[in-house]
Amino acid sequence: MIAEYGQLALTFALCISLALAIVPLYGSFKGQQTALQLGNPLSYALFLLTAFSFWALSYAFWTNDFTVVYVATNSNSLLPWYYRLTAVWGGHEGSMLLWLLTLSGWIAAVAAFSRSLPLQFQGRILGVMGLVAVGFYAFVLFMSNPFERSLPYFPVDGRDLNPLLQDFGMIIHPPMLYMGYVGFSVSFAFAIAALMGGKFDSTWARWARPWTLAAWLFLTLGIMLGSWWAYNELGWGGWWFWDPVENASFMPWLVGTALIHSLAVTEKRGTFKSWTVLLAIAAFSLSLLGAFLVRSGVLVSVHSFASDPSRGLYLLAFLLLVVGGSLLLYALRMNSVRSQARYELFSREVLLWGNNIFLLTATLVVLLGTLFPLVHKELGLGSISIGEPFFNQLFYYLVIPFALLLGLGPWVRWKQQQVQPLLKPMSLIAIATLILALGTLAATQSVQANLALLGLLLGAWVGSSAIFELLQRLQQFGSVKQGLTKLNASHFGMTIAHIGFAVLVIGVAMTKTYSVDTQVRMKAGEQVELAGYQFKLVEVYPLNGPNYKGEAAELDVSYKGDYVTHLHAEKRFYTVQRSVMTEAAVHARLSRDLYVALGESLNDDSWALSLYVKPFVRWIWLGGLLMALGGLIALCDKRYRRAASQKEATELKDTADA
Amino acid sequence: MRKLAFFIPFALFIGLSVFLFSGLFSNPMERESSVMNQPLPAFALPDLQQPEKIWTPDSVKGKPFLLNVWGTWCVTCNAELAYLTELREQGVMIVGLYYQQPADAAFGEVFNLSALQQEVALKLEQQGNPYQWNILDKDRTLIFDLGVTGAPETFLIDAQGIIRQHHIGDINPQVWQQKLAAAYQSLQE
Repeated sequence: MIAEYGQLALTFALCISLALAIVPLYGSFKGQQTALQLGNPLSYALFLLTAFSFWALSYAFWTNDFTVVYVATNSNSLLPWYYRLTAVWGGHEGSMLLWLLTLSGWIAAVAAFSRSLPLQFQGRILGVMGLVAVGFYAFVLFMSNPFERSLPYFPVDGRDLNPLLQDFGMIIHPPMLYMGYVGFSVSFAFAIAALMGGKFDSTWARWARPWTLAAWLFLTLGIMLGSWWAYNELGWGGWWFWDPVENASFMPWLVGTALIHSLAVTEKRGTFKSWTVLLAIAAFSLSLLGAFLVRSGVLVSVHSFASDPSRGLYLLAFLLLVVGGSLLLYALRMNSVRSQARYELFSREVLLWGNNIFLLTATLVVLLGTLFPLVHKELGLGSISIGEPFFNQLFYYLVIPFALLLGLGPWVRWKQQQVQPLLKPMSLIAIATLILALGTLAATQSVQANLALLGLLLGAWVGSSAIFELLQRLQQFGSVKQGLTKLNASHFGMTIAHIGFAVLVIGVAMTKTYSVDTQVRMKAGEQVELAGYQFKLVEVYPLNGPNYKGEAAELDVSYKGDYVTHLHAEKRFYTVQRSVMTEAAVHARLSRDLYVALGESLNDDSWALSLYVKPFVRWIWLGGLLMALGGLIALCDKRYRRAASQKEATELKDTADA
Repeated sequence: MRKLAFFIPFALFIGLSVFLFSGLFSNPMERESSVMNQPLPAFALPDLQQPEKIWTPDSVKGKPFLLNVWGTWCVTCNAELAYLTELREQGVMIVGLYYQQPADAAFGEVFNLSALQQEVALKLEQQGNPYQWNILDKDRTLIFDLGVTGAPETFLIDAQGIIRQHHIGDINPQVWQQKLAAAYQSLQE
């Protein structure tokens, strides 16, 4: 019965979302307070019903209710309880339900935390989010219902969760990612609400900033976790694959990053208005495009859910309505908006404009690389594939000017900056950069003019610039100690996020240049050397898990005779899904990872093993974490929690009435 | 002009949706073969059972035939042997292109021709032999030139040595009826 209650709750939720899409918007145009005030309770009801529905599906998984088709295809009675719960979002239908849960969660959050906004503006935001919600709730109920039963002929046991998804990284990767994707719907709703109102001032940007930051922070974490999962689970030491679905998550991230910066300009200087609105629409549109690409089967990807053209058609129609509609509204409303602010060529505005240009170019590169094969084929020109070399090369060229600008950006003032005062700090930073980069390279590898040196130079440039800038800013408060308490949180956040970017660049460049690997055949007791490390295979023994069988290998690693660590690599055969998975053994240190994947058993008691030594690979995820941390700190800025002043509120109300 | 510029994102998006829409109705897994309607690439490869005999495009052509890429290591290829044998009995000429997997010296593998010959002969004796003869592509050069992505794959070659069809996957009654039979019949005339 629980599953039926879940479906019932979801049906009610669809009705509520319809009401949410109509009532507050109606109220905002007719000026009816009661209709506007209904927005909040409707939002909370939507969230509660969806949460109940999600609980109902989780309960079906928990109790191994294989009469529910979705449970039977994605779970198994032998699956450990924690994977049974995460299997809720292991397939298309359940992951859509998770999507709804996050969407309704964001809606409820907007309702709860924007009481200080003018009621009319808040009503429009909730209304726009309600419109988006109607589309998704209808999609889940009518085209991908997770509660469908297979009665009376139900299977005795389930088909098990895809073994690739039976991993800790997978437990939290999708929720984080969806929080990010769906979170951009809030920035989107702010932008559309502003478009409806017709006047753009800095207050709109101030209100949208924390929401955008929050969404961006979750997306950053989600992407980072996905990369970390792939590294641990796929067994060949890669951490980014330029897979269409990875690209689909990367595009909103790039645009979201541009949006955060553009919002700052709009808030502080009242300019870049049309640009910011477009970015807010684009970030959410690309999230929707991602959902379409993954769920329609248009592209081949390891992530694709079973494809179904009718689902694809629905999502495309939805995409056309939401994205097409909002871009049309943008085109009609935005052309009358003019920015008054003046700024010189060498100013923070121009540098941030450069930031946006580079990030958008990067987005375009990813979009082209992802969709060009599709376009090429549909034009009748035959099948092509675009792979890593294309993306790597273009990003290589993009990141150099981007990082140079990033090092300069925080030092430059709004409106106008004289070159003279910057010469001293910049040359100091340049010297620090050289010392840091060459020192790190000399300490860990050998100094050569290569990609690693370039990456270290760029990383050190961005990193030392960020740190020096922070110190200089702190000293303006009299002393560093005083500054620590007075400087606002968003400045700390920015510095940390920029350092995160520096760390990431260094990690990528070092890993790309100095990773070594070898595929070897080993018997127990044998030893192989790689990059100075001695890998000794101690033993291989059979393994018996709850829903898998397999082998485990034990290795001892030493470096120049000194014992380093013990590694435990597994190769699992999941009996229900009949698929083989590697559980790589990883020994992680800041300066390098040792990575071992167990391969096939060979005829004479020996085993195929893949050994990797990957310098600085941790830095990639550390950089991602730092960026997310920066976002979190910036989010804690007091300004965002201060109630919108009465003046702003009345101003906005006037414009909306006009 | 400035007003029109704001329509650019909308226009770009509509253009993109056209492709997304048409993409919905085509199979992304489907690859159009680049060798379609091209003559067989140049090759000179030995016969599997009589290595002193060398096959070239000129010596194989003359009559429409199926070129079937297979290997004893390939499970699907073994599964289609029975139906291919049936086709041979109906008079379809089938030539095997033997897909030899690389021998990895690091794992102590060495290429051994006589062992392979025995293995193939045994397999064909058990499962049925659809092949007029087998061409051994030890270094997978012809397989590479044909754009083969895996085994089994089958090419329909006409009397002039032009590739007329390329099928990825196994040949079963359904595939034969829908994709290859008509083309084969028309080449016969």
